[in-house]
Amino acid sequence: MSNQTQTGKVVPGRYLARTKPATRRFSGRLPSGFVWVLPLLLLVGLVFNLPLLMTAASSLVDQKTGAFTLGNFEQVAASKVYLPVVWRTIRIALVVSFACALIGYPLAYWMTRLSRRGQTVALAIIVTSFWVSILVRTYAWIVILGNSGIVNRFLMASGLTETPVEFLYNELGVAIGMINVLLPFMLLPLFAAMLQVDPRLRQIAFTMGASSFQFFWRVFFPLTLPALGATFILISILSLGFYITPAILGGGKVPLIANMLDILINQFPRWNLAAAISLVLLVLTVGLFVVYQHLRRVE
Amino acid sequence: MNAHLVAARRRERWRRLPLATVGILVLLFLALPILVVVPMSFSSAESLRFPPPGLSLRWYEAFFSDPLWLEAALNSLIVGISSSTIALGLGTLAAYGIVRGTFWGRGALETNFISPMILPPVIIAVALYIFYARIGILGNYLALIAAHVVIAVPYVVLLMTLAIRSFDIRVEQVALTLGASRWQMMTRVLMPNLLPNAAAAWLFAFVISFDEVVVTLFVSGTHLTIPKRMFNQLVLQINPTITAIATILICFSLAAVALAAWLNRGNGFVSKADGEGH
Repeated sequence: MSNQTQTGKVVPGRYLARTKPATRRFSGRLPSGFVWVLPLLLLVGLVFNLPLLMTAASSLVDQKTGAFTLGNFEQVAASKVYLPVVWRTIRIALVVSFACALIGYPLAYWMTRLSRRGQTVALAIIVTSFWVSILVRTYAWIVILGNSGIVNRFLMASGLTETPVEFLYNELGVAIGMINVLLPFMLLPLFAAMLQVDPRLRQIAFTMGASSFQFFWRVFFPLTLPALGATFILISILSLGFYITPAILGGGKVPLIANMLDILINQFPRWNLAAAISLVLLVLTVGLFVVYQHLRRVE
Repeated sequence: MNAHLVAARRRERWRRLPLATVGILVLLFLALPILVVVPMSFSSAESLRFPPPGLSLRWYEAFFSDPLWLEAALNSLIVGISSSTIALGLGTLAAYGIVRGTFWGRGALETNFISPMILPPVIIAVALYIFYARIGILGNYLALIAAHVVIAVPYVVLLMTLAIRSFDIRVEQVALTLGASRWQMMTRVLMPNLLPNAAAAWLFAFVISFDEVVVTLFVSGTHLTIPKRMFNQLVLQINPTITAIATILICFSLAAVALAAWLNRGNGFVSKADGEGH
């Protein structure tokens, strides 16, 4: 009862006396709203932003003397050990992205021509694969591609090869595993973009005498090219930071940047060098991400 | 239908045959790991033979009778439940501030909260390792949970900003006009309405935390989680027990994601691929 009279008094009073803040209050918007963000900002600031800044700072510090130096970056650029790993990472990222585009585009295109039910089945397979742990998906390739694995037994039984083909513990195996893990990231956005293409365009093109070959290459493919470019870059970004797949399917013989960071942190304590390499990876990732956002806007 | 049309349609089908073959082969390639791991977990053989020579549940028994695996499972559950609960609380508050607030720099802040999802996990792992080691909390359980919150919270922020944006602001206005405080409106009007979205966000955060490997490997010290132990075993040796755990994990994450997708139906999150841990 008292509560009711209180609100009855306060609210109209405010409403009449100070119109501006009152309208803001009832507009549902917050005067500032910063307090709501504060708890998360504190946590993310402490456990994400601050550590990243510290990494950046330690990349510019000499491990022994503690003085300011660019030596860590020079060491990466001049090294016969670290630089090849950076190049290998970039090379594998490009190969994986190309392969995903090459096998992902036809599948996504085929899916647009399927019936509703066919599309649901295909999407279910893709989404299932997407959400199954990367460890599980990577692990399976050991069984499939190993020396006594399914593929090799098939190859030897069919007489195509005498000795087992080495799929594992080299770049080929790592690339196959990464393509398998990353393909859903290509398929889902690409399929969504293909569905956006107005189906009437096909009819118009056919009415005007185009063959389906001409329609595809002169209308459909150019329209979906920005989406293909954007997903290509997304896959490259994700590939650059891959750790699990090269560690398991590469068996230590095909280290990528992430595996090298693991060695520099956990085996030889060379934190400042690791910080520098991690910063190089960060710049590569953020740079590619800016391009990605730009392509998404074009799309 | 005249003969000409029938012939044209048949030609069309033949022309699509290569495309269909490629499509089916690529789908098979995607599904292959799951198709291999699940049957192998019921194998009776010691080696990784496929197809399995006989059926048994011995690898499931091996999992449930190994105290280290059970300890890892318990840790995964504790870390997953606590980090996704904290992520849901803080993330929802932040999402509300971002959507309904008027302060400067909201967009930048949202990007900052979401960026752990886009950055390679190894960068976060290195940064947290150096930071935790410097302040002497490397291997601390709470520090591990805090790291998982940061990794899981982007999914909460994404889902909850979407949900709050699509919630009719006039409902909030009515509650406020009728004298509810902002907090009352939030707990008694907004959250009950967004409960399905919040549950979905919690589940996504939980699955992300439960699957997390890279950051955990770097900062967890001696604490085991399921993915960490799986990874350590995979690098060293091939043990068929892992097929049983893998199968349990497949069922577990698919059930969680299906439930989350069902709770969050209409917002179309599951089919939108965004960064996940690698």
